[in-house]
Amino acid sequence: MFGLEITPVIAAITVSHYLIVGAILFVIGAVCMATKRNALGILMGIELVLNGANINFIAFGSPYLRDDNLGLDGQLISLFVIVLAAAEAAVALAIALNFYNNHNTIDIDRADELKG
Amino acid sequence: MNLQQLIKQLANDSTESLSWFLPEIVLCAVIMLLLLVRLFDGKQRLDLWFVAIAGSVVSFLFSQPWLVCGGGVERTEIFTGLLVIDGFTIAVRSIILLFLVLFLVFTKISGIPDSDDSPDIYTLVFGATLGMCLMVSSNHLLMIFLAIEMASVPSYALAGMLKGRKRGSEAALKYAIYGAGAAGVMLYGISLLAGLTSSAHLPTIALQLAENLGTMSGSEQLVLVLSGLLISVGLAFKLSAVPFHFWAPDVFHGSCAEVNAFLSIASKAAALGLLVRIGIGVGYVPGLEQEVAQDVEAGPAVVAGLLPVAEEAIEPIEDSVEQEVTVNEALQPVRDFIGKLIALLAMITCTFGNLAAYSQTNIKRLLAYSTIAHAGYMMMAIAPLMSSLGSDYGVAEGALSGLLLYIVVYVFMNLGAFAVVAFLRNYIASEEIADYSGMIRSRPYIVICLVLALFSLVGLPPLAGFLGKFAVFASIADAFRATDATYLLVLLLVGGVNTALSLYYYLRVAKIMVMEEPAEGVDIEQYPKAGLEAVYLVAITLPTALLIFFWNPVHAYVVDAVKALIS
Amino acid sequence: MGILAAVNRVYWHEFFFMLFAGISVVFAVCVLLTQNIVRMAFYLVLSLGSTAGLFFLAGAEFVGAMQLMIYVGGTLVLLIFGVMLTAQQRYVKMNTHPTDWVLATIVGGSLLVLLIGAAAGVDSWKDASASKKALAELDVDDARTATPLGLALTGVRVDKLDSDDPALANGQSGYLLPFIIVSVHLLVVLIGAAYMARTKRSATAPVGRAERARLNIMQMEHETDDVVYSASKQSSSSLLDSDQSQAEESTDEAQE
Repeated sequence: MFGLEITPVIAAITVSHYLIVGAILFVIGAVCMATKRNALGILMGIELVLNGANINFIAFGSPYLRDDNLGLDGQLISLFVIVLAAAEAAVALAIALNFYNNHNTIDIDRADELKG
Repeated sequence: MNLQQLIKQLANDSTESLSWFLPEIVLCAVIMLLLLVRLFDGKQRLDLWFVAIAGSVVSFLFSQPWLVCGGGVERTEIFTGLLVIDGFTIAVRSIILLFLVLFLVFTKISGIPDSDDSPDIYTLVFGATLGMCLMVSSNHLLMIFLAIEMASVPSYALAGMLKGRKRGSEAALKYAIYGAGAAGVMLYGISLLAGLTSSAHLPTIALQLAENLGTMSGSEQLVLVLSGLLISVGLAFKLSAVPFHFWAPDVFHGSCAEVNAFLSIASKAAALGLLVRIGIGVGYVPGLEQEVAQDVEAGPAVVAGLLPVAEEAIEPIEDSVEQEVTVNEALQPVRDFIGKLIALLAMITCTFGNLAAYSQTNIKRLLAYSTIAHAGYMMMAIAPLMSSLGSDYGVAEGALSGLLLYIVVYVFMNLGAFAVVAFLRNYIASEEIADYSGMIRSRPYIVICLVLALFSLVGLPPLAGFLGKFAVFASIADAFRATDATYLLVLLLVGGVNTALSLYYYLRVAKIMVMEEPAEGVDIEQYPKAGLEAVYLVAITLPTALLIFFWNPVHAYVVDAVKALIS
Repeated sequence: MGILAAVNRVYWHEFFFMLFAGISVVFAVCVLLTQNIVRMAFYLVLSLGSTAGLFFLAGAEFVGAMQLMIYVGGTLVLLIFGVMLTAQQRYVKMNTHPTDWVLATIVGGSLLVLLIGAAAGVDSWKDASASKKALAELDVDDARTATPLGLALTGVRVDKLDSDDPALANGQSGYLLPFIIVSVHLLVVLIGAAYMARTKRSATAPVGRAERARLNIMQMEHETDDVVYSASKQSSSSLLDSDQSQAEESTDEAQE
């Protein structure tokens, strides 16, 4: 019927497909960290990097993609990463607010008192 | 295996594990106490410093550093393989906890943090120390990441401890952002390693690598190398190794000397412990030769599980001793990669730290670059360890014990230096080296202690720093003789040249303090004479000066500590 | 009918994968390219939200839900609060230097090529038949739910008990310890965040060594005590009022 006629245009999704998405998010996050001057922008880049890693963990642990996989370790590690990212963001944000209180900006380029 | 058996196994394992985990439990309890005591202490009369110091002493005692005497601690995996306890873990953990005790006394004398802030600050210090204890016992990729985060995130807040200051908040922001970035990059490397070996448990990863290394395709090797490099980014950041050192001078300059001491000593010791854990964890499978003896009674499922694996994984060999050789020989490329990478980083780090220290006018920046250089010296000890791990256990043990000795020495000499900086700041409100000139006339005890600490950091005999450096360099020379690898010779030469290089900038500080006239405008006489400060400094400096007389027992101790680790 | 169902399932898996991966990547690029911090936060929400979709597709339903609840619902909202609290103008614009862009593009591009080459090069990862087989063999009734995850967090691993490869069956750790210890970590971190965010208590009159030490640090930066205290107090109470903060900054600098 309808479904039989349409053959999949793309090859089956494999671990590699997920890894490519993860790699793209990782690199975008890394470039974000390098180019943004706003401290919060850099933090958002870090979130992208952590998500790239999380996609990897999920893909390696997925029972749908491979038999010989990382198993539950993948899902568990990514759960902990989510929690740790939240904790890190909380502290980094408090520090950024503290910086803002003292400098009236969160432009990281204005953080230039310490040099030498 | 059914669920009931699993739960029973878990209960047994957890109970056994807890007895090894007491220092960390005490740290957790102190964190709770610091919170709860404030609930019932409405007027803030009680100085929570006493809670903190009591907790740190108890925690240090529970770490039982005397257990390793005579090499009595077998390698034990606890908490179903998440952590590993052996002589090295116990020794480094004890050093960190001993430093915590000394550090708390130091903060009490120097007066930072004040009584308003101290409960929060001590909570952060204990939280970071907890992470550091986990770092040196990690045996699992998740625990590595978790421990690094637990040690780092409170440190970010500590760097911004004095809140009304522009520089402090700048230091904290830089530290937090660079640190979080490095941790993210490291996590990506961890994910690649876990995916390639389909495991997160370090010995299992090592076995998988041993099994597959020979048949790996080019892209698999590429993934392995990439993951190694990405993980080394996170570790290099923690160690402040070049090229990920740039945060250290700014953070050290911006935060106060007390926090500097914490970051420079405890954090480095823990990072080196973790580096050794990872290096040995993925580059070597210990304990295979005990297969027959241990088979049945090995408590944690993981340890018992490893042994039959090795049998199946490696081509059938009858003799278990030969089998160990096979697994660990197969891992030689992994060890070579780690060893050479660390040797390269160590050489660059050391040279850069020493050269950059030359032009510094601020004592905290100078000590920051000195910290970077010393991280380089300590990383050097890992190269001979990795190069001779599979072939010559004597050399490998020598390298590891040298590293341990260096860490012990480093605690005292660096703490002494930072303590002097903090005490002098309290007197003259300056951290510029120029303002220290002629200080010997008004504060002789303090200046003598700083000069001894600086001489020890250079590595001049007969001070402790010389003994630490000598042990590390001797192990490199031994490894060179055993393996004939050229890079070890280069490493040795670079180490020697660097020691000579560092002489100048340490001596410059000493010369300014001792030989020059007192600076104008620095009125030191209005402050009381050093009392407690001098006592504390003498207590910290004495071990540095007198180690040479206690060389034998200390050396025997560090050798015992690493004995059961690899052989 | 069985064939029809199978074809349909494979087809939809790919369709949704491409959809979620596309949204995720496109909005990640938007995060990178936009100079407006508020838009950046919004694009990030979309990107991470569709990443949760990828998690669902890969069979990690619980992690996907947590991604939506904690990450998108918690962490990113926290970041957006941060954006609001530190916004100086109506729209914060932060222009990046062109040279930074060129450098970042070159380094990032080569890293991307390397990583994708590595990811797409490993045979066991790009084996399409393996994933088809795994999908076909998957028993929907037996598909993983949160139960094994919950058991693993209490220390009992029930997955892979009968795996062929004994190395994998045995290198399984229960996650009881990290589950407990991470709660201590969260407590410490919350105390740290609260400490950093609140203004300094100065009700008690500080005397003695501690006060001397603090005053000396202030003196080193040529800032008097009063200015620092008032600045940190007022600016936090009037975070959103940029004019006043600006005025304070100028007095601050004048004092210096």
